[in-house]
Formats: sequence, C-alpha cells, structure tokens
Amino acid sequence: MTLKLDGLSHRYESGRALNDVSLALDDGELVALLGPSGCGKTTVVQAIAGHLNPTAGQVSLRETDVTSAPPENRNVGLVFQQPTLYPHMTVSENVAYGLKSGDLSAEQVSNRVDRYLELVELAGRHDASPESLSGGESRRIELARALAPEPDVLLLDEPLSALDKGLRARLRDETIRIQQETGVTTLFVTHDQEDAMSVADRLVVLRDGEVVAAGPPRELYDSPPTRFVASFLGRSNELSARVESDESSLVTIGGTDIAVDALTDKFTDVPRAAIHVRPSDLTVRSMTRSGKSSSEIESMSDRSGVSADGGAPNERLGTIRMPGTVANVRDMGRRYDVCVEVDSGESVTVERHRGGLHENERVTVTAAVSDLTVFPVSERTSD
Amino acid sequence: MSLVDATRSVMNSRRLPPLLVFGLLGGILLVYFALPFAVFLGRTGSIPVVETLLETSSTTAVRNSLLTAPAATAVATAFGVPLAYVLARKTFPGKRLIEALVVLPLVVPPVVGGAMLLSVMGRFTPIGAAAARVGVPLTGSLLGVVLAQMFVAAPFVVITARAGFGAVDERLEQASRSLGYGPIATFRHVSLPLASRAIVAGIVLTFARAMGEFGATMMVAYNPRTMPTRIWVDFISGGIDAIVPLALALLAVTLVVVVTVQQFAGVPTVVER
Repeated sequence: MTLKLDGLSHRYESGRALNDVSLALDDGELVALLGPSGCGKTTVVQAIAGHLNPTAGQVSLRETDVTSAPPENRNVGLVFQQPTLYPHMTVSENVAYGLKSGDLSAEQVSNRVDRYLELVELAGRHDASPESLSGGESRRIELARALAPEPDVLLLDEPLSALDKGLRARLRDETIRIQQETGVTTLFVTHDQEDAMSVADRLVVLRDGEVVAAGPPRELYDSPPTRFVASFLGRSNELSARVESDESSLVTIGGTDIAVDALTDKFTDVPRAAIHVRPSDLTVRSMTRSGKSSSEIESMSDRSGVSADGGAPNERLGTIRMPGTVANVRDMGRRYDVCVEVDSGESVTVERHRGGLHENERVTVTAAVSDLTVFPVSERTSD
Repeated sequence: MSLVDATRSVMNSRRLPPLLVFGLLGGILLVYFALPFAVFLGRTGSIPVVETLLETSSTTAVRNSLLTAPAATAVATAFGVPLAYVLARKTFPGKRLIEALVVLPLVVPPVVGGAMLLSVMGRFTPIGAAAARVGVPLTGSLLGVVLAQMFVAAPFVVITARAGFGAVDERLEQASRSLGYGPIATFRHVSLPLASRAIVAGIVLTFARAMGEFGATMMVAYNPRTMPTRIWVDFISGGIDAIVPLALALLAVTLVVVVTVQQFAGVPTVVER
C-alpha cells in the first residue's frame, strides 16, 4: 500500500468533518475521491498532505505512519483547485522549487526541470512568468512542479473545477496520460462524477465525512449500492414502490402494478422501496399519437420486447408502463430532457433524442424492469 | 409625473460625470493639504535657510534624527514583522486583545504614551535606575529617543505587514511545505517575498512617523535634540520663521528616504489591496 488511511476522523470547531474514513491506494493506482461539496474531501487531502492534524486515525505512506509528520517530510505532491504557482518566480524556478529543497546538484535540478516541462508539453517556457500563462498552461506547470520531486503520492484537489468545459476535458485526458507515464500513485479529488468516472481506476464516494461506496466506476454506476450513489453518480429518477398488502404479489410503481418476483428478491422483506432508473433508460411515447407514428416509437421499445399494440400485461414482458403528463421539455442540444409527471404524482426525467412532445401532452413512460435498481426502505427514511 | 420620474429626467438631462461629487469632496481635502505647504514654503525666500542649517544646533539635530529614526524603524521591523505574520496566520483565544494592543499606541496621544514610558523606565523607576547605573540611561539619551519613536511608530509596520501576509494565499505556503520546505524556509522563500510590497510600505510609514515623532520623544528624551524637538525649541524662541529651515530639512530627509526606499523596492507607499 502506497497510501493508507485508517479510521481517519476530524472535527473542526464548527463541527465534524470526517468520520472514520479508511481507504488504501496501491502503487501506481489512480483513485478518485468523489463527493458533493462540503463532504470532507479537502479535509482528507489536507490530512494526507499533513496540513491538518486529524482528531483520530492514522495516515500511512509506504507502510510508515506519518500522521504526526510535518508536510515537508512526507513526499506528497499537491495540486490545488486554485493556481498556487509562485508569481515571483519564473516557470522553471517554480518547477525547480521542490527540487532545490532536496540534495540534487544544480545540473540534476535543471535536467529534471527540462524533463518535467517536456512531460507536460511546455518545454521552452522556462523563463515565462506564471502570470503570462493561460489557465490550462498554469495547471500543467503546477502538475510539473508537484511531480518533479517524484512524490510517493500525488494529490489532485479539484484540479479541473476552475476550468471551462472544453479545456477541462482536454486536461482530464492530459492528467490521465501524465499519470500513466509517470506511474505515480494518485488521489484525484473531485465533486464532478464525470471527471471521476472517466479518470479513475477506482472510485471512493464520500458523503458527510463518511465513505459510502468504493469500487470500479462502472460497477458503482450500474449497480449503485445506495440511493445516494445512484443519484450522485449520473442522473437518476427515484420512484417509490409499495406492496399493497401482505398477501399481494403485486407492487405499485409510479401508479402501475408489477409482479414482485419480476423485480428482485431484495424486496420481499420490506413493504416499501425506492426505485432508481436512469433517464436514458426510460422511453416516452405520446398516447394520442401512438397509432399513426408507431414506427417512430418501435425502435425505442424494441429491446424490451413490447409489441406495437402494447396490450400485454406489463409484468410478463419485463417492462413497466407509467401513464403521465408532460410537465416540460428542455432542449439540451444533443438530446431533449422530458419531464413527465406520472399519475402517481411523482415526476421523472426522460432523455429523448427527438422532439415532438409538448407540455400537458398525455404520454406513457416505459422502463425495462432490468434497468430498475431497487433500494429497500426501512424505517429510517434516509439511506 | 411622479417625483421619481421627475428626478430621473433631470439627472438624465444633465449627464453628470459619475464621480463628480466624489471628486469635488476629495478636492476640498486636497486643497486643505496643499495650501499650508504652499504658504509655509513661500516664506523661505526671506530666510537664510542654508546658514541656519549649518549651525551646530541644527546639524546635531539632523544627525540625531538620522541616527534614531532608522534604528527605531529597524527594531520595529525586526519584532513587528514576525508579530504581523502570527496575527495573519493564527487564530487563538485572546487574539482580539492582542490586535487591540497593537493599535493602542496609535490611539494614545504621543505625549501620554511618553508619560507611560516614563512610568516604566524613568530615571527613578527600577528599570530606568538599573539601566542608568550600567551606563545606558533610557531617558534623556539617544536610546531614549529610539524607545519613544518605536513605541509610537511600530504599529504601522505591524498593521501593514499583517495585511500583506493576509493577502498571501495560505495554499502557496502549503504547496511550499509539501515541496519539502520547513516553516521558516517557506516564510523566507514564499511569504516574505510575496508580502514584501506591503512590508516595505509599512517600513516607510514607520520611518516617516519616527522621523516626525515629537510628543513621546519630548517626554522621554527632550535632550539630546532631534529635529522635531529642535523645531519646537526654535519655535518657542523665534516663531514660525525660525523653524522654516529645519522643517524644510526634515521634509527633505524624509522625502528622500521614502522615495529612495520606494525606488529600491519598486513599490508605492500605500498598500494597494
């Protein structure tokens, strides 16, 4: 284990920030620490870097307990969300800064500076002043400065959050490339699930100072362990589900009945559950015009095996159909977000690639049962 | 037409430059600054400035001021900058009290400050007596002048430097620590250079204040004479015209030092942020 956090807890004067956070990074691994703002991500970074003394728990780097070691003795590279290049130094002086604290010769330092400026594709900008750099360039110089001393662990604290969208995607790829080339163990901290999913080998989801999920990104996305993870990792609709009575084998979702067996066995012990379904897994069709424009809709419902007349009972075909009314349609450019209020009163968002739906139109929202994720709801309302 | 509409149409029809009112108010103050300078300096024509300045009493006063004010500034900086850094970086119980203490010498009239200094280190207090016995009297000496100037002028460098350190993003220091530098090396390589503009501004203010210090100096060390105390003595005996030469010299020395420091450090006197 290159980096190991064991039962890390921290309490600020204003309240608890971290509660029993444990995680471990293998050599060369790129792990994303993901969570909404205020969940304690930065506190984790500060504790690993040594800028904060945790109330409890242990930080180990390469099997050595460094919990009480000062930051300068930890060999941790740090890149913040805001640029922290030194304005009174040139680019190469900035990159050399972390090398001069060690015992490298002047020649070794300048070779190393050249190498890392090349790595971030900014060779030849040695004498530029940090103020003359663009946002993306200064990010890359910061990466070079953090990497040049060859740290055991690289901590990236929201490194892309201050950038605009196009630059962000480019720097994300750049960060992955640099991480792969250097093989440095990296903790990528972000609130952006897209950044986290696309970058990381493994995700750790933090919420209110606690680790609520950890695993490969795709696994967490496809089968989220909790409702929070389901709604935080990508967009998700939540519907409540209820077994009408103890004897009933039917469960009501969004006003439609479906056989309990068709869902999952998770459901059997509790009468209530929350159902999550991704907006991209839902289809919506107009009730009034379904007859004449059926060909348009068929392609969408093909995979769930629904016949054109739609008369078959839902449960056997593995789909549920929820009648509802279109509340609004948002044109997002490459897709439409259709917000439908289903007859149970809940509203769902459906991603759709064609327009043609209007407000207050009566529609049917269709979902394949296999795309539903079921979270049993116990007495506590939160997960 | 409502009152609001009426007002608006009047405003629109005149198209006043937006800062006109502010400019006018500020201008009055500027005139008030400039007028005394102009009239006072206008008296120089009839006065033998150079001859007066070459008298022993004048040269001694200039020399004393040039010995004491830089010394007071240096000591105030040596102790004040570390204090400023702690105040900018740390929160601790009683910090408000410490901050109030730093401002106190600015609030207390200098004469009163001088009296308070006397109550601690006057000739007949334990400290003052002990110091006099070993041959370094704290009153009526150049050391006394330095102590008086420091008391009155040191808050300037503390307050200004503190603002300067406060404007340095703490993450720049954290980055330096993570790049292998201890707290003191980080201070030297990052905090100090980045706050240098503010610190120099504070030093300049402190020096200017120390040069002109009269009230506390008069109480603690009326002798040996500095330029301000000499000016007072001349004024008592000869009126306004008698003090023109030394006043000019004081102004000139202070200006030269301030401008030189600014040139050297390349900074404006007033903190920008």
